[in-house]
Amino acid sequence: MAQISRRCVPFTPFEGELGAATVALVTAGGVHRKDQPPFNIADDLGDLTFRVIAGDVDAAELMVTHHHYDHADADRDINVQFPIERLRELAADKVIAAVASEHVGFMGYTMQLRKMYEETAPAIADHIDQHARPDAVVLTGG
Amino acid sequence: MSTVLITVSPEASRQMRPPRALYPRGFNLGNALGRPFMRDLQRRVLLDALGLLAGPPRPGEIVEREYPEYLAEPAASGAAGRREPSG
Repeated sequence: MAQISRRCVPFTPFEGELGAATVALVTAGGVHRKDQPPFNIADDLGDLTFRVIAGDVDAAELMVTHHHYDHADADRDINVQFPIERLRELAADKVIAAVASEHVGFMGYTMQLRKMYEETAPAIADHIDQHARPDAVVLTGG
Repeated sequence: MSTVLITVSPEASRQMRPPRALYPRGFNLGNALGRPFMRDLQRRVLLDALGLLAGPPRPGEIVEREYPEYLAEPAASGAAGRREPSG
């Protein structure tokens, strides 16, 4: 953690208007579709994989696998961690231009911080950038 | 891509020095956007986060906002409260 905190802030300016922006969600809260493999909570080192979630997913088809925070509230309403329905409403109200075609869930808990930072995080960023082409990404933790 | 983080663990997030971050003050782990079915609150938190994109650059700074309706609503039994390190 100390090593990472010494790095500079990877700041990408936001250009243009929110009303013209396509927005994606990336959550460390262990969100995935019920028909996707759950995150491996049996591994004490954590799970470095991620799940791609389509922008038109039915919120009722989403669930949480994460054992390092109490996700009882997200189990009732996934929007407390992964606000896909709120994002759709903002698009419908033309506050943003569109909901991205793909979003990502992963399990933020890890004892392999270096791998998470150097492998998983860039892989998520590459996937989102290449497949969803969003103008902005909203990140949520656990 | 421009990013904005919504965090309920500001101390942990500060160490990662995110380019933009919102901390809804007093929100529990597992409640990044607020409580279940509080749609107006969830929308406002999301809008405030998106608002940081267009605001003045404050890289590494975590912006704190108050949402009194969250604090006014008691947590459902069994939900929230535990504060373990997380992502």
